[in-house]
Amino acid sequence: MTGMQALLLPVGADLYALPVDWVLEVVAAPTVTPLATAPAAVLGLFNLRGQIVPLLETAALLGIGTVEASAYAVVVNSAHGPVGLAASGFPQQTVLDASIGPSELPGTTGLYQLGQRVAACLDPESLLTHERIAGYLPRSERTAAKAD
Amino acid sequence: MAGMSSEQIRRLFAQEAEIRLGQLDQLLLQLEQTGGDDTLVRSIFREIHTLKGSAAVAGFDEVSGVAHHLEELVDDVRSGRGSITAEVIDALLRGNDRLRAAISKARTGIASQDTPAAGPNAVNGKHASQPAGSRSPADLVTSGPLDVAPSQTKSPATSRHSGDRAGVIMVPVERLEELTRLAGETASAHLRVGLMLKDRFNLDPATCTEFNELSRSVNDLQDRAMRTQMVPVATITDKLHRALRDLSRTQGKDIRWQAEGADTELDRGVLNQLSDSLLHVVRNAVDHGIETPSEREAVGKPRQATVRIHAMQLGSEVIIAVTDDGRGIDVDSVRQQAARHGIDTDAMTDDELLELIFRPGLSTTQFVTDVSGRGVGLDVVRTNVEAAHGRVEIHSELGVGTELRIIVPITVAVLRCLLVEAGGQYFALPFHRVLLSQAHDPGKLAQAEGRPVVWVDTRPVPVQSLAETLGVTGGAAPSGPVVVLSDTSRTHAFGVDRLIGQRDVVIKALNPLLPRLPAVAGASVEPDGSVLLVLDPPGLIQRARSASRGTGMTAPAHSPTTHRRSILVVDDALTIRELQRSILERAGFDVRVATDGNHALSHLAELPSDLVLTDIEMPNMDGFALTQAIRAHPTLANIPVLILSSRSSEADRQRGLDVGADGYITKSGFDEASLLTAVNRLLGTNA
Repeated sequence: MTGMQALLLPVGADLYALPVDWVLEVVAAPTVTPLATAPAAVLGLFNLRGQIVPLLETAALLGIGTVEASAYAVVVNSAHGPVGLAASGFPQQTVLDASIGPSELPGTTGLYQLGQRVAACLDPESLLTHERIAGYLPRSERTAAKAD
Repeated sequence: MAGMSSEQIRRLFAQEAEIRLGQLDQLLLQLEQTGGDDTLVRSIFREIHTLKGSAAVAGFDEVSGVAHHLEELVDDVRSGRGSITAEVIDALLRGNDRLRAAISKARTGIASQDTPAAGPNAVNGKHASQPAGSRSPADLVTSGPLDVAPSQTKSPATSRHSGDRAGVIMVPVERLEELTRLAGETASAHLRVGLMLKDRFNLDPATCTEFNELSRSVNDLQDRAMRTQMVPVATITDKLHRALRDLSRTQGKDIRWQAEGADTELDRGVLNQLSDSLLHVVRNAVDHGIETPSEREAVGKPRQATVRIHAMQLGSEVIIAVTDDGRGIDVDSVRQQAARHGIDTDAMTDDELLELIFRPGLSTTQFVTDVSGRGVGLDVVRTNVEAAHGRVEIHSELGVGTELRIIVPITVAVLRCLLVEAGGQYFALPFHRVLLSQAHDPGKLAQAEGRPVVWVDTRPVPVQSLAETLGVTGGAAPSGPVVVLSDTSRTHAFGVDRLIGQRDVVIKALNPLLPRLPAVAGASVEPDGSVLLVLDPPGLIQRARSASRGTGMTAPAHSPTTHRRSILVVDDALTIRELQRSILERAGFDVRVATDGNHALSHLAELPSDLVLTDIEMPNMDGFALTQAIRAHPTLANIPVLILSSRSSEADRQRGLDVGADGYITKSGFDEASLLTAVNRLLGTNA
């Protein structure tokens, strides 16, 4: 898999790559209405031209805690309609070369080198599931997340 | 007729046939169920005969041929040469299906000719349709049902006025939807104008006659627009009856079908969404619920089983209950299955275990209806119902039967809401759940059973901050107003920061990836583009209750501070039962329920009630027999009995009083006030 077009999502200090095929658009500073009683991974809802779209905390989906800033919403075309993934910085487009090795976090499909930096590639299909959003992580993952 | 082309005639016939076929299906099922009298057989004969004649005129030879064959069958019955057996009904229903297919095929012919160029060619008359029809057999599958659907939903309603179709026109659904949407937009624009009058011209819109007139018409407009899309549940009951009948025949089961409250209306879209689910539930009842006649006999049940659909409107919701008197769901077997799926069932109550059959893994093993050929599980039923903003409840008693209720809002298009602010955020509360809102009044606050309560009229109601209930930071100022919400059985008050006003909200479902949030009904886009959360009061009340229970401050809500009067409600119709329960509980009574006379007697033997409220027509032991049994019982004889029945004849009333009832009210004249008056009168309590 070389030459894959991807969007780079800064999430806290980390960088994640999202294949562009999944991306509908990027929204800067969306007005988010908190969704009361929702799990922590759901930051809230925002209006995308009349459509109500949930904004999800990317870090929480990956099981690595929470990242305060959600300056950008990367709108992903999920099987159940558009879903926003929060990014803490502007997502730049890039081309991924060959993977430099497997990634550890669930919902990711490998590590890629970008200059001096490393990005884990996101797999929306396994990342955007009921279980991940609801925060039901398998015990092994939970302890792994705590160790980080 | 002189000026009509044969194309027009065929088109007209297709329309007529739709309605006649619907009518025929209904009549045939009726014939099977009632055994049939001469009038019914004559009506069936007449329908087929007319259809045959019209088909011949329109040039549909195949249709006419099938109709002729059916006509002969019915004629045998009519002239007494043959009797009405299940086989005859089978043959007639199958014939009816063949007619439908033949007509649909012919209609496809019309549709494929429905191009400007087809006009002149079509004048050739009867043979013109045949090549077109035979050309596209594959179209039958796709365009056939689609073509039929809209008019089919109309046919029973129309046919009720037996053939008088003057004044009825077919309108494409999109136009009606557009109308409803525009009416909704007009209403919200109207609200904005009201705000503007106040802000810019310092004019209170409520004192402005012109504005009030406009408000009234806009409200009426919205109401009427919504009504254009309401259809009675009857539009799908025939389909359900037919499915039940066919399946019970193949499985050798003897089942009586009963439909009640079929004239209950709800949004066409909502009903369509539910149609498949109901079909599944009915099939499920036949397939898994109902035993074979010999099995039933062995356990002392009547050979003939009953499956009943009962629809009823309760406030702005419609409850559709499908009840069977079959074997019920074996909770232990659910437990075992759940265990096999790795679910910890130790601490689960029976109700919680029953809930499990809605889980995907579980429902596809034992409870899937293979007969439907689609492998649909009950989880799909729940998903579909929830998509229509509804919920599913299941009650089952082993050996006695199962009742599955689908509860949906009448319409999901627009919901009138009360807007409140709590924790710095706006929330919409569906108006039909709002009992009242009142300003903060320290004199009305009290403490009871370890939690704060607020006096609402003469009742203390638990109160909690809305922000706190929702886990939103910045709880309500203690001086904020209080909104009292109620669901079918409970009342709870919530403190808010302030009341914003009333608003018609176009509610949208949340992305299905999100977990189910019981306290949230959906969301809506505000005129300024922000997103407004619409809360679901029953879920909210549940949340508030479990939260306060969690802190260990509270005792059960109904612990008797003073002696509460208890009432036993006896009715086999769940909806009536629940309606009565909700009214009586709200009025402060302790309510128990029973499904028939026997059930009621065993309840009373355990613990007598202060009053019995009973229906007449019930399985096993009816209301008359129950009243008699109570009067004959040494310790129960003095309990007042109030009969609530749909039988309104003087003879029935007299009979009720003769067997010892203290009062008799009819369901048609039934409302909350009259029920409470009668109950209070008999108990000697003040209303």
